[in-house]
Amino acid sequence: MKMLKLQIDGQELQAQKGTTILQAAKSIGIDIPTLCHSENLKPYGACRLCMVEITKDERTRLVASCVYEIEDGLVVKTNTERVKKIRRMIIELLWPSLTGLAKEYDVASSRFWPKETECNLCGLCVRYCSEIRKLDAVYFKGRGIDRELAIVPELARECAFCHQCHELCTGGWIVYHSDQAF
Amino acid sequence: MPRLKSPDDLYELREKLKQERDQRHTCVTICSGTGCIACRSQDVVAEFEREMAEKGLEDKVALRRTGCYGLCERGPIVVILPERICYLGTKAEDVSEIVSETLVKGRHVDRLLYEDVETGQRIVRLDDIPFYRKQERLLLEANSLVDPKRIEDYIAIGGYSALAKVLLEMNAEAVIEEIEKAGLRGRGGGGFPVGSKWRTTRDVPSDPKYIIVNADEGDPGAYMDRSILEGNPHSVLEGLIIGAFAIGSQKGYVYVRQEYPLAVENTEIAIKQLEEYGLIGKDILGSGFSFTVDIQRGAGAFVSGESSALMSAIEGKVGEPRLKYVHTAVKGLWDKPTCLNNVETFANVPLIINNGSDWYGRIGSDNSKGTKIFSLVGKVNNTGLVEIPMGMSLREIVYDIGGGIPNGKKFKAVQTGGPSGGVLPEGMLDIPVDFDRLEKVGSMMGSGGMIVMDEDTCMVDTARYYTDFLAHESCGKCVPCREGLRQMLRILDNITSGKGREGDIELLEELSEFLQEAAFCALGSTAPNPVLSTIAHFRDEYDAHIRDKRCPSGVCKDLIAYQIDAEACIGCGTCARNCPVDAISEVEGENTVYEIDQGKCIKCGNCIDVCPPKVEAVVKISSSVLLESA
Amino acid sequence: MYLDEKGAAGAKTADVLVIDDEESMREGCHQTLEADGYRATTAQDGRRGLELIETMHPKVVIVDLKMPGITGMEVLAEISKIDPTIVSIVITGYGSVESAVESMKIGAFDYMTKPFGPERLLESVKRGMNLNEERKAAAQPSISPEAGEAVEGPALDQQTVALKSLELLGQYYSLGLDKRDFLDELVNLETEARFHAETLGWIKEREKILREVLQNLRVVDEVIAQYEYEKSAVLQVMLEVQRRLNWLPRHALKWISRRLKVSLGRLYSIATFYEALSLEPSGAYLVEVCTGTACHVRGAPQLNATVSALLGIQPGQTDSNMLFTLKNVHCLGCCALAPVMKIGEQYYSNPTMKKLEGIFDSLKREKQDYAKVEVA
Repeated sequence: MKMLKLQIDGQELQAQKGTTILQAAKSIGIDIPTLCHSENLKPYGACRLCMVEITKDERTRLVASCVYEIEDGLVVKTNTERVKKIRRMIIELLWPSLTGLAKEYDVASSRFWPKETECNLCGLCVRYCSEIRKLDAVYFKGRGIDRELAIVPELARECAFCHQCHELCTGGWIVYHSDQAF
Repeated sequence: MPRLKSPDDLYELREKLKQERDQRHTCVTICSGTGCIACRSQDVVAEFEREMAEKGLEDKVALRRTGCYGLCERGPIVVILPERICYLGTKAEDVSEIVSETLVKGRHVDRLLYEDVETGQRIVRLDDIPFYRKQERLLLEANSLVDPKRIEDYIAIGGYSALAKVLLEMNAEAVIEEIEKAGLRGRGGGGFPVGSKWRTTRDVPSDPKYIIVNADEGDPGAYMDRSILEGNPHSVLEGLIIGAFAIGSQKGYVYVRQEYPLAVENTEIAIKQLEEYGLIGKDILGSGFSFTVDIQRGAGAFVSGESSALMSAIEGKVGEPRLKYVHTAVKGLWDKPTCLNNVETFANVPLIINNGSDWYGRIGSDNSKGTKIFSLVGKVNNTGLVEIPMGMSLREIVYDIGGGIPNGKKFKAVQTGGPSGGVLPEGMLDIPVDFDRLEKVGSMMGSGGMIVMDEDTCMVDTARYYTDFLAHESCGKCVPCREGLRQMLRILDNITSGKGREGDIELLEELSEFLQEAAFCALGSTAPNPVLSTIAHFRDEYDAHIRDKRCPSGVCKDLIAYQIDAEACIGCGTCARNCPVDAISEVEGENTVYEIDQGKCIKCGNCIDVCPPKVEAVVKISSSVLLESA
Repeated sequence: MYLDEKGAAGAKTADVLVIDDEESMREGCHQTLEADGYRATTAQDGRRGLELIETMHPKVVIVDLKMPGITGMEVLAEISKIDPTIVSIVITGYGSVESAVESMKIGAFDYMTKPFGPERLLESVKRGMNLNEERKAAAQPSISPEAGEAVEGPALDQQTVALKSLELLGQYYSLGLDKRDFLDELVNLETEARFHAETLGWIKEREKILREVLQNLRVVDEVIAQYEYEKSAVLQVMLEVQRRLNWLPRHALKWISRRLKVSLGRLYSIATFYEALSLEPSGAYLVEVCTGTACHVRGAPQLNATVSALLGIQPGQTDSNMLFTLKNVHCLGCCALAPVMKIGEQYYSNPTMKKLEGIFDSLKREKQDYAKVEVA
């Protein structure tokens, strides 16, 4: 496998082609916060918490580190002011789900209206049920700001007896609702 | 139907069809685009058929249902060729007069001709009408020459000769070079150079390759693609086949909104005819090149206009955008190299091949070559589709072609680029309309929606309108787009209902910046444009809503009220009869006057519309005034 | 004795009999069924299968349609003669939907297309066992109201309903013909008739619904065939089904899911994602008010408020008579005629309040007249 050279937060490292920035950072002990990511599932790139600043050919931009695969000569910064600003906004928007992170990023409260459900729509349960359980009992219903989580009525019974996705849940919706639907 | 096995077969057929056409010198064309059909142009067609049969004119005069003529507000449009006599607003009952006067005696029916607003003069020829005079209708002109349901019409006017030229006289490289030299840029929104897109797709060493026509016209207030596909589907398909040849694809898709049933139908018919003539299928015109096309109906999702989301939809999935760090030209439909262009883009291709890149390069401005079709709508006198060379100023489009603002109202802004674009105020009317200039001033070309707004349009309401649209049309996958737009909409809802607070504008700006930086796809990152551009140019309107709880344009429902001036009211009761919720009733007293129950009123404004012009007893007031007096 | 017949030796009865000439199929079904607690037995051809049916009276018979000798169809026909309470399920090859439909017509309860998994088998057998019980209960002659009420209960399948209707009819007529004591019996008969008429009506209603469901499923099958069973055409299939049925009933989704082997979860998320698809039936007239930008600036909100007030429903709702559904659409592409409303195929440009009243009234009348004609 081809090895590529890159720099993350000032540290030089080598990693295999096909590695994501998130994985590469982890390998040298740099922790990038995530919400919708799980090592056992396909990268999804939806929560944007893991965004980092990359510089390539003198062009700097923001990318989601969980999906962006490393390139030779890439310079990555995981904790710049620009990145922190985004994370702080996400913490506020998903308030109070990310109170653990809130402290680290110095967010004491949210300026926004609270979400209507405890669900963060991170999709971990949906993807778990689809990719690993291969059942598709949980699905995203609707789109845009009306998007919500729902359980397929015909499969509610199996859902109530499975619970395998519970430990992935970031907001609590599936934990509360998987039994009730049946 | 004979299969065409070589270019000679095609040319032979064309000559034959041309002769047939020439036999009947005069041709009555009746617009059968959706706009005119809505105004019952079908009845006009039927009446012409009947009248002409009765007068025995069928052998001398041809009758043709054509695609859209563009001046949709004045439909149904009847144009008589070759003189190009143009009758507007034609009704079935006008037909016998047209037949006996114009077709038999060669005289005009004056009352159906265009009347110049200023001089009161009647204009006979289509091309002399101000709406058409400044246009350069390279694409739309063919709409009047063909019946979209007949491939023979398209072949007769030289259709598919560009395809024959490409297949037999050029190689793929030469085609791409020609498109590059012409400087053709994508008409779908971003304005990406078409030639280089084709080259990238062609150069990916992976097969098969796919090519897609994006006809999922999702911009609210725009219908250019609809009109082309309805009026001249073969021009798009010819461009598509040429594109397929250039990138080395054997399979194409037309992804068309199912809300456009006529476009779906005409495209289906066109594909069937192409199969019958052997212009798609195996070994096209004996060149060895094979290609097939399928129609895919879009199920109604604005986000499907995003190329990767559209591909998801074709694969039968929820139309969410995909990770695009690898471009769809490399990994698109079913992870294969895929080239996607918009309807209008493909329609330009045969023109360039037929007339050469040098000719094409002379039309338009520096970096924006060719013409662009706009849907000029909203508060403007001549609404419809206009095709202009790029680089023309907004002022020329709105005033010279559009005829200015109706009812003596004042111009306020023009919105371009749809939900991803922005508003341009009076001071920007002189900028030339092309890809780069529009982007520079905070809007964009988009697919070609151009909505004119007058003093009665509220800019905060406009921002709220687009944000609401996007909040519901976003796929809802990523946090910035879903949660960010949710909050932006809440804030705008508050402002427009009089609950805005100091600091709201700054919060909107902060959220906007966040969306631009962090959203997953272009829908999200461009979503703040309507908000940002209205704040930039019309901040005073925001302030009026937030500080004075007042909507200066009298639009925002919660900030206005309707009242009847008892002094002026003549007690005719028209308003009461036109109130859908029975909120208007007679007041007991000496004279009969009416009053509005504010608790019941839904502010539909019917009362103010129907109050006789000389009376004008119903007035719109700021609701804060009502509160103070109460 | 057939040596390869599993479970046949010694046992006098069985729950399920599997008739298939293919050994692996017999073996697989047998194992799956036994593991799930059923008493299963197998036969390798139609002749032997029929013998076992006579002697063992299984509750459910699974039979392969394509077999040498006596065919599956012939077995099916025989089963209903031997014991109409036996529920038969057929196995068909991939793509032979027609023969499956044919088999349903002569009494098969369900069919499974090869290849199918254990879950599919167990699900079908389970439903078959339930049905068998229902049929057995229904086969008890009943003329008392108490027994009649036992008919009520869980949803019945089409065969049961048809069977019960026939039985009830038979009882009704036989009562009238056999009795000599005319006057007394006439009173009895009247009471009976009234009761049976009620039950019949109730069953007919069910049957009507089931017929409708069946018809819908046929539509789905036609559409899927039109798209050549292509999994990736699922969105196009859903659009076409929506166009033909005017909505996507749950049974249609289930059928699509089973036929195209696409998970129900995915179908639900597609159905709720796209504007054109609906999980609710819409009214006889779909009233679409355009909310495109051109319409918005030229008074679409006012038009919307008026239409909404006149129909007494909000956008997205259907009135209680199932006559009108009001929908806001993003752009009808008729921007020059703004504001635009569309009902069916007809577009209306900036209709006044009076015009709207006229349009809605005439549509209401049209529907009433239509209903009258239907009744007559």
